[in-house]
Parts: sequence; C-alpha cells; structure tokens
Amino acid sequence: MLNALDKDLLKAVADLDDLPQGAYSIRKNGKLESRSVTANIDIVTDDKRDGIIVTIAPGTINESVHIPVILSENGLNDVVYNTFIVGAGSDVTIVAGCGIHCGGPEPEGHEGIHEFRVEKGARLKYVEKHYASGHGFGRKIMNPTTKVHLEENAHVEMELTQIGGVDEANRINEAVLGPGSSLMIMERVMTEGDQKADSRNEIILAGEGSSSNMISRSVIKGNSRQNFYATMVARQKCFGHIECDAIIMDNGANETIPALRAEHPDAELSHEASIGKIAGDQLMKLMSLGLSDEEAVNMIIQGFLR
Amino acid sequence: MLELKNLSFSVAEKNENGEEKRRDIIDEMDFTFEAGKFYAITGPNGSGKTTLSRLIMGINQPSAGSIFFEGKDITGMTITERATAGISYSFQQPARFKGVTFRDLLSVAARTENEEKLLEIVRRVGICPLSFLDKPVDSTLSGGEIKKIELATTIARNPKLAIYDEPDTGIDLWTIMPMVNLLKKEQIDHKTTTIVVSHNRSFLDVADDILIVDHGKLRYHGNLKNALPMLNDFRICSFNPCPEGEQDAQCFR
Ligand SMILES: Nc1ncnc2c1ncn2[C@@H]1O[C@H](COP(=O)(O)OP(=O)(O)OP(=O)(O)O)[C@@H](O)[C@H]1O
Ligand SMILES: [Mg+2]
Repeated sequence: MLNALDKDLLKAVADLDDLPQGAYSIRKNGKLESRSVTANIDIVTDDKRDGIIVTIAPGTINESVHIPVILSENGLNDVVYNTFIVGAGSDVTIVAGCGIHCGGPEPEGHEGIHEFRVEKGARLKYVEKHYASGHGFGRKIMNPTTKVHLEENAHVEMELTQIGGVDEANRINEAVLGPGSSLMIMERVMTEGDQKADSRNEIILAGEGSSSNMISRSVIKGNSRQNFYATMVARQKCFGHIECDAIIMDNGANETIPALRAEHPDAELSHEASIGKIAGDQLMKLMSLGLSDEEAVNMIIQGFLR
Repeated sequence: MLELKNLSFSVAEKNENGEEKRRDIIDEMDFTFEAGKFYAITGPNGSGKTTLSRLIMGINQPSAGSIFFEGKDITGMTITERATAGISYSFQQPARFKGVTFRDLLSVAARTENEEKLLEIVRRVGICPLSFLDKPVDSTLSGGEIKKIELATTIARNPKLAIYDEPDTGIDLWTIMPMVNLLKKEQIDHKTTTIVVSHNRSFLDVADDILIVDHGKLRYHGNLKNALPMLNDFRICSFNPCPEGEQDAQCFR
C-alpha cells in the first residue's frame, strides 16, 4: 500500500495523484510494490539482475509506461537495472523517476541504470525526474544512468530533471545513433546548499543523417557545485549541437566542458556554453513591471528550468 | 507631474593621458513634464536620451540632482517602487529571457493571469497577434517582434507615466502608424503622460511638445514647427544653448 508520504513522492517525480493509467511498475524500498501490463506493453522481472524488462510491441501507439521508484527506508542503497525495448514503429512515453525521503541519519541512495533499445522508426519520449525530501541528516544520493541505442530513423526525446533535495548526483547519459535517427536531450539540474551534481554525457552519431541536440540548464545556488561534461562524436555525415547554460547564484561553482569530435568531413557539430549570474537586464525588466528583486529572480529561474 | 531638478549622471572616463576624468552624460538637467501630455524626445545618437529615461525609471542612479513624481521625491526609490507608483519604461534594447513567455510578462505587468483579460490587452495593443502569447521572449524573436512585446508590457501596466525608448526601431512600415496612433489613443483615453524617445517624424508629428537633447543638455523645448530648423540642420546644436525661456530655435543662429 502506498502511504501519504509515498504519494507525495509519487506526485513530485511522476506527477501522479494515484496509480497511473496504462502500464506501470512501482518499486518501493528495493521491492516491487505494484505492477500492471497492457496488451502491447509487457513488464517482467529480470531474472539475471535486479530490475525489470519492459517490452513494447512494434506499432504500439500513444501508450505510456510509468516506472517510479520510492525510497523511504533509511540507510537503503537501491541499485536497479531496467531494460526497455521499444518496438519498431511504436510511439510511446516512458515516465521514470525517483523520490527519496530521508528521515534518518544514514545515507540513502538510488542507482538506476536504464537501457533503451529503440527500434526502427520508433518514437520515444522519456521523462525522468529526481527529487529528494526530508530533514534527516543522511545524504540523499542519486546516480541515474541512461544508455540509449537508436536504430534507423528512431526518434527519442529525453527530459531529465533533478528538481531539488539531492545531495550528491552522478548523472550519466550515453547514446548511439543509427542512420536517420534523432535524439533530443533536455537536462535540468538545480542544486543548493552543499550539494554536488556531475553530469557526463557521450553521444555518438554513428549513422548517416543522424542528428542530436543536447540542452543543459543548470542553476547553482548556495555553496553547491555542478560539473557538466558532454562529448559528441560524429562518425558520419550528421548534425549535432550542445547547448549548456548555467546560472550561478551565491557562492556556487560550475565547470562546463562541451567537446566535439568529428571523424567524418561532412559532420556538422557546434556548441554554445555560458556560465553567469542572472542577467541584469532581465532583472531590471521584471522589476520595472513591479516585481521585487526576489520575485524577479524566482521568475527568471523558473523560466530557465522550464 | 514629473520634475527633473538639476539632474546629472556622470561616469568616470580615462582621457588620452590615461587620467581619470568625469564625463557628464546628463548635465544638470531641469525640466517639468506636465500631466497628460505627449512628449517626443529626440537628439543625436549618444546624446543621453536613454540615460535620461533610465534615470527616471530608477535603473541608473543620478550623480546629482533629484526627480519628483507627482510632487514626491522619488530619487531614492527602487525600480519596483517607481513601477508601483505608476512609471513604466519600454527598453530600447529589451531583455531576452530563456523559457519566459510573452504571457508570463503580460501577466506580471497586468497583475492577472485571467485569459480573457490578457486577450483584451493584446487586442487593445493591436500590433501583437494573439499567437504571440505563448512565444518565449528569447533570442529567437525578431527585432521587431520583441519591440512590439516590450511596448505591450508597458501598456499593460496602465501607467500614469509611460516612457517608450525608440519603440519604432525594427518596426515594419505597416505597423509604424498603428503604433503612433495606439500611443496617442492611450494618452487620450487613459490620460497617460507619454514620453517617446524617437528619431521618427511620425512621432514628432503627434507630440504636443518636442524636446531636443544634445550632449546631456536639453537644447530645445517647444513645438515641432520651431524645432524644424534644428532638426534639419543639427550643426546648430553645436552652438550655445538659447537663453532661459527662449522658445524659438532660431536663437541658435
Ligand atoms: N553606464 C555608462 N558608463 C559609461 N558610459 C555610458 C554609460 N551609460 C551611457 N554611457 C554613454 O553615454 C552616452 C549617451 O548614451 P545614451 O544611451 O543615453 O544615448 P542615446 O541618446 O540614447 O543614444 P541613441 O540615440 O543611440 O539611443 C553614450 O556615449 C554612452 O556610451
Ligand atoms: Mg538610446
């Protein structure tokens, strides 16, 4: 049974008020809480390692899979390996997320490795949110990894969000793109206090005509620190772009290193990176519309992370 | 309704010998704007028009002098306080955000999220299509589009004093006259004291009063007809300013 605290976490990471529609598998404190499959979407427990295998039948259109993880048992470190097979020609949304509530002194953590095989012509939207709450002293640690293989003409859109409360995060995203496929990644990370978050990304444009756009938005408050590394490798005629923006407030620190590697003369790769305080002209504009200094900052950050 | 008293804004500058010097961008300016009137401010590039506007909005702090709004000294007030008091400013170079939409700005400006009310403002402004509402106000907007949005946010505040800093830059030929008529209509319908900084003859034509600024000084205040000699031949500006109270630009000759 899900208690009130679980429901709060579920709302924060998956925007769910109750059990979701369609296929789902909810994991609580390292164990299966509840599961539901549909005619086209099958979810089974992986018998080789801790995790699940989600198989989406070819041609499945407009269905969704929710796989939230809830941690509320102090001292637990949950490691999970989930595999997703998105069948050819399907068009689906997968919502994952991890909510940690830490009420005690021991660290709590979640390490989730999500591997995707997106078959020919399939479209996948993947939404992942990480959130931690609770006033316990235990550090809340999250290390999400995604590995995506895009077959010919597959299209994947990933929204990766770490909205707050996570003390330590090592985020890894890896992708290999086949011919004609496209991958769009939007990553948003906010840290505060003494938190630390690293994001490492490697996108390999292996197929001709593949394209990828990676956008990273970071807000670094308090004494927190974020590092962002992204490498795009072009092996064929392809298109790739990295855009990383960081807003630093208070005493935050940031290192941003976008890297481009072209192994083909027709590769088109570019990047933009910026680190800075909130722009003065944005603040002044909002204040001239009647907002206080603080309200203006909030509105700019909210928009930036939208 | 707005009084500038001995208003100066100076910055430190290095001269050829590397010595620090003060340069007056706005130089001891005295002027009283009357309630409900339409003023056009013009003058050469770099003469101080934007700086003057920003001093009034509180974005820049004067190095000397004071500003009175409706009889109250606002020199020490923040931007927010001046906005709340009824002053609004359309930036010459509007800020571009990330993820903030026209709807967001309009909601803040009009203090409402009500869809009907927002649509009503967009219709009243007229020059922004309804499809603009959910556009992000970011670097993808064209130069003209962002100026239209900027102007709309000023109108949405229903200010007592509206300052538009070159609202016509980047605006297409088909929108200039509607924009001029809009600001004129706002002045009349809402008794908005209006200051338009512009080099565009269309704004000068509808203004009640023309102000010419040069080298941080007010060189002329009066009607358009008498300003024409100066506007047609700006070399005149390099002559000494007219004696106090002189209304005819011919005095420059
Ligand atoms: N904060 C500042 N520090 C140094 N110089 C400044 C500052 N603000 C303005 N200036 C200078 O003051 C002068 C007047 O600038 P301002 O922007 O007010 O001119 P303007 O009349 O609005 O010109 P334009 O018609 O080109 O818009 C310019 O030479 C500008 O470089
Ligand atoms: Mg200017």
